[in-house]
Amino acid sequence: MGPRPTIAYVLEPRFPGGTSAAVARELPVVAPFARIEVHGITSGMFPGRPPAGVLLGALEDLGMKLHVDAPRIAADRVVVHNPSFLKFDGALRTRIVARDLIVVTHENFLRPGGQESHDVAHCLDLIDRATLALRKRLAPVSPHNRETVETWLAEHPSHAHWQLLEEDWINICDFPLVPPSPAPRDRRGRHSRPGFEKFPAPREMDLCFPPHAEANVILGADLLDSLARERPHWQALPFQASDLGGYFGKIDFMAYFTARTFRESFGRVLAEGIAAGKVVISDPQTASVFGDAVIAARPEDVDGIVAAFVAAPERYAAQVRKGQALLARFSAESFLKRQARIFSPVPEGGT
Amino acid sequence: MILLEAGQRNERSFESKLLFAAMLADRGHRVAIDEESLPERPDRSQKYDAVPFLADLSDVEPDTVLILGAHDISNETLARLRTLDLPDAVPVVALGTFPTHQAEVGTRTRLAYALGREPRLVDVPATIGADLPVAGICPLAAPERDLAGPPAHTPELFLFLPAEWLDEPHVLPFLAVLDNVPDFHLSVVMPGVAKDRLKRTRYATLNVFGYSELGPAALARRADIVAIFGDGIPGERMAAFAIDLMSSGGAVIDCTTGGALEASGAPVIRGPEELAALPTFMEFSVIPNLSAIGHASRESPWIVGRRISRLEEAAGLVTPERQRLPAAQGERRFVFLPTNGSGLGHAQRCSLIAGELAPADDVLFMAFPSCVPLVQHRGFPCMPLVQKTVDHPEEFANDLVNYVRLRRTLKRGDHLVFDGGYVFDSIYRAIHESGCSATWIRRGLWRPGQVADAPIERERAFGTVLVPEEAFPELNVDYSRGAHVRRVGPIVQPPPSIDRETVRARLAKSFGVAFDRLVVTMLGGGVAADRSAQVQAISGLLEPRSDCLHVVVVWPHSMIAPGLTGWRNTRLVRTRASLSLAGAADLVISAVGYNTFHELLYNRIPTIFIPQVASYLDDQERRARAASDRGAAETVLAHELLLLERRIEDLLDGGGTETLRSKLEQLDLPETGNRSAAILIEKEAAR
Repeated sequence: MGPRPTIAYVLEPRFPGGTSAAVARELPVVAPFARIEVHGITSGMFPGRPPAGVLLGALEDLGMKLHVDAPRIAADRVVVHNPSFLKFDGALRTRIVARDLIVVTHENFLRPGGQESHDVAHCLDLIDRATLALRKRLAPVSPHNRETVETWLAEHPSHAHWQLLEEDWINICDFPLVPPSPAPRDRRGRHSRPGFEKFPAPREMDLCFPPHAEANVILGADLLDSLARERPHWQALPFQASDLGGYFGKIDFMAYFTARTFRESFGRVLAEGIAAGKVVISDPQTASVFGDAVIAARPEDVDGIVAAFVAAPERYAAQVRKGQALLARFSAESFLKRQARIFSPVPEGGT
Repeated sequence: MILLEAGQRNERSFESKLLFAAMLADRGHRVAIDEESLPERPDRSQKYDAVPFLADLSDVEPDTVLILGAHDISNETLARLRTLDLPDAVPVVALGTFPTHQAEVGTRTRLAYALGREPRLVDVPATIGADLPVAGICPLAAPERDLAGPPAHTPELFLFLPAEWLDEPHVLPFLAVLDNVPDFHLSVVMPGVAKDRLKRTRYATLNVFGYSELGPAALARRADIVAIFGDGIPGERMAAFAIDLMSSGGAVIDCTTGGALEASGAPVIRGPEELAALPTFMEFSVIPNLSAIGHASRESPWIVGRRISRLEEAAGLVTPERQRLPAAQGERRFVFLPTNGSGLGHAQRCSLIAGELAPADDVLFMAFPSCVPLVQHRGFPCMPLVQKTVDHPEEFANDLVNYVRLRRTLKRGDHLVFDGGYVFDSIYRAIHESGCSATWIRRGLWRPGQVADAPIERERAFGTVLVPEEAFPELNVDYSRGAHVRRVGPIVQPPPSIDRETVRARLAKSFGVAFDRLVVTMLGGGVAADRSAQVQAISGLLEPRSDCLHVVVVWPHSMIAPGLTGWRNTRLVRTRASLSLAGAADLVISAVGYNTFHELLYNRIPTIFIPQVASYLDDQERRARAASDRGAAETVLAHELLLLERRIEDLLDGGGTETLRSKLEQLDLPETGNRSAAILIEKEAAR
């Protein structure tokens, strides 16, 4: 067995949502098997915003330091998480030297309908020019995310030198599992960052969160002011106004739909809902990442689904338990197995 | 209808929206702007600019949404768009500047997320050429104008001057010099505060436009040449004005420091930065070549490439048929707009003149509610305007509504005839914006205090100023001079067709009273002044006279004090045919408005005049005294009740009415001007 590989994680540490959370969870899982450095790049994407607390917390727990804007990064593997942070920048000033460059594509390259979600070529090119590596590979995070990357590469033959990992670079979702409520009520909720993409059209929000529901808790409703003012039956809370435990305590069903022009690349919030012991409902495409763990539906179906589960608590409990069992696909163990398949030889001590 | 939005919801973006809304409306598009985007404290000009477009979006079903400055779009705007929940069939078109692929993708993505569907993006510089170096997000497209051709008149030169230039002591005297150069007519455009400052100086007679007093298209329609001074291009409005003028075949002289306009590639003539050098430059370089300069500007690749049709095509807008086409021969319409004073004099005068127009002429009236029945009674269609009241939140609130009505009504090729003392903003703007020709009927005999305040400067909006003369020459004063000011004889209602004895017989029959003497009192409806004391005094004085019938005549709908009904031989008559009654009277006691005075005079009716006095009225006492000094009438002031009593007794009992009638018969009165006024209006309209 050789020495433990060196792995440099590179990301914009101020990503407020899933990217930082995913990396924060990944670091302690990988740390026993590698020598890790975490590098933050200050991009033009989040001026004036501090680094994500979840990331800083993970680093503190591991006794690690966040290196910021290092002029040079050298490692066996360099893993760049979510390259879209470079979309506003004219250059990546850090030089990267690696045996293996992995770019984890947390953000879909294409939106539903085929439009680019950001200037992908620009972001990849900046990394490409800054990096000397034996292999440069793209790592999708889900089957749908992979589809957008594949399609984009097919449409951009000039970027054919980027190889695509065969294995998805999943988000680790090993949250504590909370048992389902024995007596579920019509208490609905959803949580997300406050971006417009995270919310469906107002009429679809109304279908998901109607006046007759006992509770409608919307966490991350910062941009819904005018809608919320006209809907006193909504409890509209700003992003991070409530800890997730408190929020999940108020609901039994999570109805999560997004704008038609957006699709989650992974859908970490759905996994959070499943782990928290809730029945989670979403559109078929978003639900597909989690198989039967998420009820695939349309907004107009939500009322009927909720009513049916409220009338049959045992079905409710069975659905939650089934979902939680399926979350094992996104466990740390599962992540490491995938890593082992990606890298050869496998990390020392890996299973 | 196009809903016009902007990336940011701030005052500057609102200004840009107003500018672009006007450009689109000029092309015939119907445009709405969300009233919730109105700045917190819009100024007066902004209100006039905005009112044709502001809409409650719950009442609007847009067929297209246009977003200006979409490259910098706020969450507030996105949230508003999302709330609208637009049908998928309504395209959302984002106009902006997208120098990078990410800028384009980013805008597209943000809008797509908020709307739940894809927007259409238009890169403005790629479509109509590079932005000019001015702040703002209005696409400065070139309108597609008919070729104005070389001006048949003395060229109109507009100067843009920065406000701070007024601090230089030589500037105003030099503007006065320029104002007297015969080669051109001078107008100055400057920020509103600077205009106000200038108007307080002894150079107040200079023709000055505030920066936002009129829209760029209206300024360009008036101008043949604009010379822009200062350190750079003075904002979107002036840039739009300059581009409009270039498109119309006018000349734009870039006198800015460093040639900011010229540097942008625009087809301008580089001019002197010194004001003092301008007359020579104009005389030798510009005016002799005006036609060639205009042609070169209009056909330049820079202007052709900026045409607004390119933007319309890129945005998928269907260009409507132009709504303001020149009227074909024979389709010309005369639109009379009489203001309402204390009585109906303006409306009456207009209807008399309109009645003298050729029968084939199409006539429309726009009048305040109190005047509408009179106008309709005379056989003319009439659109009501909104009367000013104390209930409106601000003094010009009614004028904003009238402005919208005027904009919708007036078309290029129409001829507007305005009769009134004060040219409201609505009228002033509508004339300029519609491009119609206009005549101002401006009766004279202003009181001394009114002369200084009179808005003579707005006279330039009118091709002709018709001044109906007073019957007595000493009452005629010129308030402005020039070939455009035309005097006509007094506008007087023709004698009634019904004879005196028939009227008296009808009165006797309808009131069931026999009488030998008829006294008619016409002191108004109490709008200008309360004359109920005088009417009661006259009624009381005449009460003992058993052979006398006293008829108090008011306009229909006038308010009358209830105490009038208690008199035995006093009767109230509401009628528009006051002249028939007065003609049948032995004695008339009357106020001294222009129309009534001249009707009584020309019909040789013995009268005691009681002048009305109000700040907004003409000098009725001078008018009355001109007649009484000639022995052709009596003048009694309103407070002289005892004198009034004596005069009535003298006239009725002492043969005074016959003396007055004799004097009236001897008066050599000028020919009435009804017909000549109509001829002048027709000539002005045909120019």
